Order: sequence, then C-alpha cells, then structure tokens
Amino acid sequence: MRLDFVKIFIDSTALMFKELIGPTVEVPSIAMKPSPVAGREVMAIIGLAGDAQGRVIFDMDLFTAVRLAGHMLGEPSPGMTPLVRSSIAELASMAIGRAISKINDCGTRIKMTPPTVITGANLVSYDQCFETLVAPIATAYGEVRVNITIQDLD
Amino acid sequence: MHVSEQETPIAKPPITCLIVDDSAFMRFHLKRMMESFENVIASEAANGTEAIREYGRLKPDIVLMDIVMPGLEGVETVKRICNEDPEARVIMISSLSYKEKVAEAMSAGAKCFLPKPVTTDELRKAIENVLSNALESRTKGVV
Repeated sequence: MRLDFVKIFIDSTALMFKELIGPTVEVPSIAMKPSPVAGREVMAIIGLAGDAQGRVIFDMDLFTAVRLAGHMLGEPSPGMTPLVRSSIAELASMAIGRAISKINDCGTRIKMTPPTVITGANLVSYDQCFETLVAPIATAYGEVRVNITIQDLD
Repeated sequence: MHVSEQETPIAKPPITCLIVDDSAFMRFHLKRMMESFENVIASEAANGTEAIREYGRLKPDIVLMDIVMPGLEGVETVKRICNEDPEARVIMISSLSYKEKVAEAMSAGAKCFLPKPVTTDELRKAIENVLSNALESRTKGVV
C-alpha cells in the first residue's frame, strides 16, 4: 500500500469537500481494513492506473447523497435523479483528480478512469484481496466513506 | 404615428459558448454560470465526438472543455478542433491540472486552463482574457 499517496488522496478529498460543501468537514479517524467496507446505497468508483494502480470508492447513504447534490446544485433534489448521480460522480472525480495532479507533479504517472456511480440496497464491493484504507469524512449532510486501495506496479 | 429620429442602438451580437463535459452536473453548473453573464448563449456536448460536430455546426466564440471523458478525451478533441480552426478559443476546465497535462492541453491549442472547481469570477475573467486576446491578435493581423 502506498501510504504516502493515500495521505494525498485523503487531504485532497477533505479540502475539495470543504471548498464545495462548506467548512464543517472532518476526517475523525482512518483505519486499515483487509478489504473495502463500502456497502451503503450510493457508491462512486474511480479506477487508478499507471505507475501505481488501485481504486477509490466513495460510499454514502441515499439521504446524504441527495443532500450533498442539492448543495452542489444550489437547489434541493426530490430524490436520486440523474443529476444527483452526476453531482456525486463529479464530486468524487474532482477530489481524485486533484490528488492525482499532486502525485503526477511529484513524478509518479497515474491516470484515473471516469467515475462510475452505483446505487441500490446492500451493495457489496468484491475487492477482498486488497488492503484498503478507509477514511470516513463527516460533512454537514452526513458521512461519506472513502476507501482507497493503491499499490505500486511490480 | 410619430417616428423617433433617435438612432437605434446597435445590439451587440451574443457571445456563443459550447460546453463540453461528460458530466451532466458540470454542464448544468457551467451553463448556469454562463447564462448569468450578460448576452451569452450556451450549448452543450457530452463527449469529444459530439463536441467536434457541434463546433463545426455552431462555430462558437468560446469552448469550455473537460479532459477526462469516455471515448474521445478532451486534449485530443481540442487538437482536432484547432486543426480545423486554428482560431478556436478553447478554455480547458479540469480537475486534472498537473503541469504536464496543462502543457499538453495548451500545446493542443487551448488558450487557457482552469482547475476545477471553477468560480464564476474565474470563468468570467478567463473568458474576457481569451476574447480580448483574440481581438488583439486579429487587429494586429489586419494592421
């Protein structure tokens, strides 16, 4: 696990959330898990490839996703509309894009895939073999968990 | 009926803008920003291929272009648009803002690069700069 990169992902995500959602954003604790713990109703997934590879999964409950998107859109949303899904995808994309820019500026070449948003009940991610760093980000609209798996290509 | 002899002011033509982003949120957000400016008409494209087609059809004054898109991504799209129209005025707007990517976008023909998230003020300034630079170089070309 590239912990130096993980720190950049968490810092960039927290900063981006502060810029987009407001100052009341905190990362109370970080934990290493044997696999991602994403399993809430909304997941945004971004793949990482290049000199290092991995995956970042944002997961949150439906209520949090709808309220976060409502803030970004400047108007409340009635539920999980296509525009809400797109807002969550863009939030994840902006956070990871910024982290990747910092990592690339330090000399490691990493690319990201466009985000995929999955919604539904009892979602399970099947990356069991990869150690994952899990950072819950507390926002005024609810918690977003960030699951980061990133390893050097050997 | 009295006809006024006052001169009718010549209405400025609107600034036309093409917003290219695969994200419906970003198209919605940028369109709302653009339409908050005076006299702007904004249209949209959701990917590079659509952007090239719409650019040829609309010949917009400004293009706002994302980088990470499925299929034809932003930098290659800019390259193709600028090959067809070297005077195209493209502003890249992307969260991928590392030095190499910015240089790649600028050498493809982009006139300006704004990292996401972009504010209304940053967008307004970038558009004013790009349009005034274009006018300046056109004037120099005439002289």
